[in-house]
Amino acid sequence: MKSRNSVAKPTDLPVLMPIAERLTRGRGIGLSYDIPRLQLRAWHGLFLLGVLVFFSASAWAQQSPDHPATLAQAFIRWMPLLLKAFVFNIVMSFLAMSLGTIAGVGLGVMQLSPTRPTHAVGWFVTQFFRNAPWLVLLFFCMFLLPFRFSVFGVTVPFPDWIKATLGLALPVMANVAEIMRGAVASIPSGQWEAAHSLAFSRRQIMFGIILPQCIRRMLPPWMNLYAILTMATVLASIVGVSEVMTQTQRVLSAENRPEFIVPFYAFVLLLFFVYCYPIARYTQKLELRYAVRD
Amino acid sequence: MKRILLGSAAVLTIMFSSIAIAHADVLSQIEKRGTLVVGVKADYRPYGYLNPSNNIVGIEPDLARDVAKALGVQLKLVPVVASNRMQFLDQGRVDLLIATMTDTAERRNVVDLVPPDYYASGVNIMARKKSPFNNWESIKGAPVCAVQGSFFNEMVARKYGAKLVAFKGSAEALNALKQGRCAAFVFDDTFIAAQLQQQQWSAYDIPLKTIDSKPWGVAVKKGETRFARFMSGMVVHWHVDGEIIKLQKKYGLTPIAYSVRMHKFFDDNFVPSAN
Repeated sequence: MKSRNSVAKPTDLPVLMPIAERLTRGRGIGLSYDIPRLQLRAWHGLFLLGVLVFFSASAWAQQSPDHPATLAQAFIRWMPLLLKAFVFNIVMSFLAMSLGTIAGVGLGVMQLSPTRPTHAVGWFVTQFFRNAPWLVLLFFCMFLLPFRFSVFGVTVPFPDWIKATLGLALPVMANVAEIMRGAVASIPSGQWEAAHSLAFSRRQIMFGIILPQCIRRMLPPWMNLYAILTMATVLASIVGVSEVMTQTQRVLSAENRPEFIVPFYAFVLLLFFVYCYPIARYTQKLELRYAVRD
Repeated sequence: MKRILLGSAAVLTIMFSSIAIAHADVLSQIEKRGTLVVGVKADYRPYGYLNPSNNIVGIEPDLARDVAKALGVQLKLVPVVASNRMQFLDQGRVDLLIATMTDTAERRNVVDLVPPDYYASGVNIMARKKSPFNNWESIKGAPVCAVQGSFFNEMVARKYGAKLVAFKGSAEALNALKQGRCAAFVFDDTFIAAQLQQQQWSAYDIPLKTIDSKPWGVAVKKGETRFARFMSGMVVHWHVDGEIIKLQKKYGLTPIAYSVRMHKFFDDNFVPSAN
């Protein structure tokens, strides 16, 4: 306590001390006492993986020493396949996030519209997709959309994974719309009034003044949503898309070894953790940085 | 604002409208395309499973390759699961299903299951080679591992009086068998046969006669008469030549009784003698 005060003492006035401390914390100076001490780095993930492989390999060796392939060998054999499948998950999450964000911003603007029908439609669509289970939306997209289109006589294939991506983009869209609505609502009304008094049109105020200020506030929840979406891409395995979960199931059935089930799924778990954890940490950091600033 | 509204309406319309596709006989489509698309399992060793270079291999992919060869076209395999395979066929995503599909009356209402059936699976047990089990009556009162939700569990318990110990999945049940928590494991005989390929189960075998045997059928889309007839011919040809028996041996299975019987039946009745 003493040392921190001496490093960045914000004020000498006793009256201002509590609030001054809070303000400095908002600027990220006192960052350390809001985040738990445990901070994982990328190499921790690798370390965990190593421990996992080592222990499962030794556990297995004790069970049946006469076996043809060890767990480590199996991992090496299937690693390229599983990693490729995981990259596919990430591609799906990127696409779903981009589509969902574009559509979500549109929907958010609709919700904020002063025109009643526009507002009503925006509100209804948002509420509908926000309160529907992701898996159900996924099933709808999988089974309602055709597997190919005919556009002007040209047959365009419409593969499963794109359908799944669309299915995942729908709830993302609704959530982004809500995030945006919340961010716009948090901008002080003075901004609107000031812009009005300067004779800006509503569109100019929205796109030139309000939305640019919102981006900073939207970023942390948006990144949270992205991490959640990435973890939700495994849902596509239920509808038969060849992503990492599906491939793991197939690998396990090809290996046909019950004792591999746990280590292989643990590996998938770890892949997602190693990818999502830094996002979560960075989000936390951004949240702190933007907390009290304006 | 109106423009945005119209735009989003248009996007939603496109997203939710399915566009009908003009339909021609599937056999001519395959010829025109130059590719046969077959739905197979990718998670059921040795019938259809993945190899490390991400190709589907196994008994059923080999059969599919034979069909493509007979048609003189390329082969494309699409992995299917039980919950989506009939939709895929109905939508035209696959031309043909060879996907461990049991031939049932309900399924015949949805797809064309081509006669004759190409394979069969039933219920059997897996037990130590020295076990006292030699007929189904002998498992009375014995602790038998099973997987929750298998439709034959009730029959085995009620009709043959086994003391069932049900587990969540086959892996757990097998583990319990290995630890000696039960005297036998009751399950689908094709699954047991696949397990017995492994060295760790070398002290075990299938001691009983398979009961409740249900045939597996090759399926084409309903109403595709020409293709269905062609596939009938293919399956008969497989039985006559003993193709499926050869494949079972290739993938390390003991030929099942059904294949042997069908081979003998077609060989005796349908192949004209040499002289």
